[in-house]
Amino acid sequence: MKATRIQGRIWALTNPEGRLYNDIDTDQIFHNRYLHITDVAQMGQYSLDNLKGWEDFAKKAQPGDIVVAGGNFGAGSSRQQAVDCFRALGIAAIVAESFGAIYKRNAINSGLPIVALPGLVGLAGAFHSGDTLAVDFATGEVVRNGQVYRAEPFSQVQMDIYQAGDIFAYGKQLEGQDG
Amino acid sequence: MGKTFAEKVLARNVGLDGVTAGQIIIARPDKLLSHDNTAAISKHFYKIGLERVHNPDVEVIVLDHVVPAASEADAVNHKVIREFVARQGIAGFYDVGTGICHQVLPEYGHAWPGAVIVGSDSHTPTHGALGAFAAGIGRTEAAAVMATGQLWLRVPGSFRIVVEGTWPARVSAKDLILHIIGDLRADGADYRSVEFAGPAIRALSVAGRMVLCNMSAEMGAKNAVVEPDETTRAWLAGRVTRPYVEVHADPDAVYERVIPYDVTHLAPQVARPHTVDNVCPVGEVAGRPIHQALIGTCTNGRLEDLEAAGEILRGKQIARNVRLLVLPASREVLLAALEKGLIADLVAAGATVLNPGCGPCLGAHQGIMAPGEVTISTANRNFKGRMGSKEAFTYLASPATVAASALTGVITDPREV
Repeated sequence: MKATRIQGRIWALTNPEGRLYNDIDTDQIFHNRYLHITDVAQMGQYSLDNLKGWEDFAKKAQPGDIVVAGGNFGAGSSRQQAVDCFRALGIAAIVAESFGAIYKRNAINSGLPIVALPGLVGLAGAFHSGDTLAVDFATGEVVRNGQVYRAEPFSQVQMDIYQAGDIFAYGKQLEGQDG
Repeated sequence: MGKTFAEKVLARNVGLDGVTAGQIIIARPDKLLSHDNTAAISKHFYKIGLERVHNPDVEVIVLDHVVPAASEADAVNHKVIREFVARQGIAGFYDVGTGICHQVLPEYGHAWPGAVIVGSDSHTPTHGALGAFAAGIGRTEAAAVMATGQLWLRVPGSFRIVVEGTWPARVSAKDLILHIIGDLRADGADYRSVEFAGPAIRALSVAGRMVLCNMSAEMGAKNAVVEPDETTRAWLAGRVTRPYVEVHADPDAVYERVIPYDVTHLAPQVARPHTVDNVCPVGEVAGRPIHQALIGTCTNGRLEDLEAAGEILRGKQIARNVRLLVLPASREVLLAALEKGLIADLVAAGATVLNPGCGPCLGAHQGIMAPGEVTISTANRNFKGRMGSKEAFTYLASPATVAASALTGVITDPREV
């Protein structure tokens, strides 16, 4: 079993005014000029390099870090590089107010933990880059400095895929059930 | 209790009497669409350890994103795809020049009423215009569908958008969907199935319906649909030979929202940089200088779009300081436009006609912008940096508005030229 409760350092994706960015689209996460890259390991270095103020994110991020963002994170294109680039960097989880529909599927299917925390943008002052955050995927509990926030827990299929590793490993389990 | 379109199509696909919004099902897609990203998908596929795809007849692969290859890396990806297609015996493969995947898939009969279509492209909802359930997915799960023929889906909740009224001159489906996205915002229909209904929708051609369904992705929709009617059947005749069962929502279906619109007094609309929901009537931005005008893409590269541009530009000259790029959505569209003399009209007016494909829409080639430049485009996205420089600006509008703006060199209301 993989850990369902993790702890890590926050990168709060804020704009120059200090507020969490909403609607960070897939071109800001992984710009179209890198779309020819098919090797996941090569994708990390370009993460967020088209998001104002975060061009150097890939150099600063460490494995185990947690990304915090506003609403509709990952809107736009279906490009999975926008998920894979964070996996390449070893990002432990993304906590956002909400996610773009395809982004959500891509993350779940890749086994990248994503957690939607409704009302997060209103709480923005409570999440600073560098702080430590604990996230419980099973209960949806998000804890910072003893303060507990209620996020959406993983759905069953999300937990199953996460535990299996990714959609392929999960698919093999399904095939096994079919006999 | 009645069922929505999405609930009915997905229940039929999984062989259940009924499914309900929120339920997670394991669907068996009728078609899986992919494009240049098939290079990466095939890599994922072989990593699974299988030799053969589950069913090669499900695959539809169209090279459209960077065609012809603009770099050695693109060329290698294309080559990998051709080898994958040959090895797997995939008949539904369309090489460079056939067109954009969302135009080619229906043209070659791969979309029909009641079909479940998934595609590793976010504009896959386009095929709802033919009465299919069509949704975008990612490349990992596209590889999983190749391997297993299956995919988990959460049955989406539904909105029904009912559109009344009569279409004014030089106002089109593009203006309506921009207006709706401006109202509902970029996440307003997140993970929802959007049903378009009402007399103004019935009056639209299949091309117009494709515009609505295509751009529903820009308000987060999982899928969008226009239920089939005589217009649909006429378009499908000769393309789809297999028998199909049309799916219509029940009259007493349960919707999260029913949203009424009326197009009678709708003005041409424009999405300003850098988000698609930053919409206003064209009058509010009229007069802003442009450097480039683009007519094409999976949103507006069809014959009626080129006709709308031709009607405005025929016998005239575009402004000296403007580049007008025209990209027919497919070879079929290009041939029809040639036969009608439209291509000659547009070229004579100063247009640069490019080969069918995605062109500069996603910033890979064929007209990317320099810092400070402004493009007005018929595409579906204007994200910062999408068409090249991060310091460039993209406005989105209808083919008529783009053509009128190319003519004057500034953003222009097409009703005034």
